[in-house]
Amino acid sequence: MSLVLDGLSKRFGRVLALDGLSFEAPRGQIFGFLGANGAGKTTAMRIILGVLRADSGTISWNGVVHDGLPRRTWGYLPEERGLYPRMTILDQLVYFAGLYGVPRDQAAREGRAWLARFRVPDFADRRADELSKGNQQKVQFLAAVLHDPDVLLMDEPFTGLDPVNVALLREAFLELRDRGKTIIFSTHQMDAVEAMCESVAITDRGRVVVSGSIRDIKRAAGRRMVKLSVEGDHRLEWLSDIPGVRMIRRAIDRSEIEVDPGIDPDVILAAAIGHGARVTHFEIADPSLEQIFIDHVGRPPDEDLTLASADAEDPAA
Amino acid sequence: MSRADPLLPNALIVARREYVDRVRSRMFHASTIVLAALSVLVAFAPIFTKAVDRGTTTHLAVFSSDAGLADTTTANLGTFLNSQRTPGQAPLYALGRVPSAEAAQSAIDLGLADGALLVERSAGGRIDFKFYTGESIAADRQQLISVGTFLVAVLDYTTANRAGLTQPFLFPSLDMVAAAGPSAGGAPISGSEFAGRRILGIVFVVLIFIILVIYGMWVAAGVVAEKTSRVMELIISAASPRQLVIGKVLGIGGAGVTQYVCVLIPALLALGVEEQVSTLLFGPGGSIAPSLVALAPPLLLAYGAFFVLGFCLYALIYAAAGSLVSRAEDLQVMALPLSLIAIAGYLFAVVALSGGTTGFIRIASYVPFWSPFVMLTRLTVGRVEPWELVLCFALLVVTIAITVVIAARVYAAGVLLYGQRPGLQAIVEAVRHPA
Repeated sequence: MSLVLDGLSKRFGRVLALDGLSFEAPRGQIFGFLGANGAGKTTAMRIILGVLRADSGTISWNGVVHDGLPRRTWGYLPEERGLYPRMTILDQLVYFAGLYGVPRDQAAREGRAWLARFRVPDFADRRADELSKGNQQKVQFLAAVLHDPDVLLMDEPFTGLDPVNVALLREAFLELRDRGKTIIFSTHQMDAVEAMCESVAITDRGRVVVSGSIRDIKRAAGRRMVKLSVEGDHRLEWLSDIPGVRMIRRAIDRSEIEVDPGIDPDVILAAAIGHGARVTHFEIADPSLEQIFIDHVGRPPDEDLTLASADAEDPAA
Repeated sequence: MSRADPLLPNALIVARREYVDRVRSRMFHASTIVLAALSVLVAFAPIFTKAVDRGTTTHLAVFSSDAGLADTTTANLGTFLNSQRTPGQAPLYALGRVPSAEAAQSAIDLGLADGALLVERSAGGRIDFKFYTGESIAADRQQLISVGTFLVAVLDYTTANRAGLTQPFLFPSLDMVAAAGPSAGGAPISGSEFAGRRILGIVFVVLIFIILVIYGMWVAAGVVAEKTSRVMELIISAASPRQLVIGKVLGIGGAGVTQYVCVLIPALLALGVEEQVSTLLFGPGGSIAPSLVALAPPLLLAYGAFFVLGFCLYALIYAAAGSLVSRAEDLQVMALPLSLIAIAGYLFAVVALSGGTTGFIRIASYVPFWSPFVMLTRLTVGRVEPWELVLCFALLVVTIAITVVIAARVYAAGVLLYGQRPGLQAIVEAVRHPA
């Protein structure tokens, strides 16, 4: 009982977008589909939806090949946000639900109910071009779920949302999961994945580099992390004296330290006390998903969103 | 895409949205009002023409092998025709004798005369008139000249009786022939009928050109707008390209029909009362030949068929063209080749309006991209064999069926492309191997 992608390949001219991509997303779970920009996530989603055809490979949902499934099996929130600018929100929701076979009166009733649940009942009669980008995004989410699909494909659903709306959307995801829906979403926000997903697939250059339950993936990493806060000292220069220990992320409030297999994390606590530091937080944890992502892909998931280092080479030089 | 989505109901849902979106827009309301006003003005054009025509002089060349008959015809007809002239005004009709029938025809060809009247007395004593009408002679003046020929015959009879001859009055014969030689499939038709048909032909060709190109561009612009607003990403996952393309064509076509009806009704009402308005303005005898006479039901039916089929063909291609661009600015460039094809059809139709059917025009009237213009014009001003009509419609329907498949495949490939225009090879590849 799951969504299975098996050996999907897709080439656009010279670009190999998918290179034998395979993973299995269990039914009734929230599944994180992770990868850097250009890893092939959107292409894979479009193939699942039937918008694109794979050069090779198969997709099945609960054992049924996806070509034989009705279109309303899927709900899709695309990465590119957009609505009809001059159309009222309720009309748009009724229109999209109608294309999935939902009767007009039922779609209108459920559309109003969803808008009320998102605390924006007054949006029903407003035009899309009167709403902010974030609010349009909420409406798009409703357009994706109003026909009650079994599988929701969400491409970067949290991008561009403020923290309040992120929280609302997360709550909606959890509620849909509790109703038995399968949610597959791509994101660069690893904290969101860790908070919501039970399983993930990490992709790179059109291939899955690791997949499975998050717990298993972390355990398989064979490393542990220490999260440490020391009052008045965020540089923690004394760490360099401890073998098998590396600073992963230095922060004023809480730093993350990687501990090699075979090293007892307690040596860090002992060293801190030995240096006279006042420890306010000490936590032994599994490696973060972001660290696992870097381990497998070789760069952070949102690398494109950060500046290269000042001494980076100019490729044109 | 291999999922077999049925066309209905999604195509109708898409059509409904497209229709409502168009007819509710301010642009639609404004353009409909402007076009309706223009159509009424065009419908009243014969009255405006008559108002201008009232001050002009119609030149008529008169020939008869009987010099006496030529003189009396010129004198009596001239007196009758100019009887309504107000003092100080230029003569409404100027009649002059010419030495031969060829000279009369030549005078029309050279523009020296607006028409020619050949008068002969038959062996039985009846007067036979042959009235050659040029292009510049108005229909109401043609009618008045026709009446005048009867008067000439009456006066001729009266004069003959005064000399003591006792013979019964013989009604004169009148044969009206268009000097330029218009014909309906070889059969000569009167100048007034030809003029009426030609006006109708012009109106038809202009209207169908507007419908095919302007409404076709609406379809393309609608596709581009969906790409620009990025709503396309949502739509393409909810409906198949075939449903979307056909729904869009139906919806926007429906909006076009609505606007068309809104424009046509006031125009038809105006045409229906133009004769009364003319009589009201110019007094009794100042009426004009009603333009609707040439509007026969079969012609209207043919026009409706070419309207629907022509729009479907062009709109499908415009939809595919719209899917290949991401910005409205690029649309004109992408749609230019198709617009040029339509313009070529329009120009061929203008040639066909002359009433002649050359081999090239005949072939052009079978070509699906041109038949809505050229065959319609041929039907309006000339005669078309039934097999030609069957062939023309069959080719059009087959072409539309093929175009639906190709347009849906191009659309499916094009709508997901942003910021890049696929080359010809990519388009061909999309058609051969659909997503």
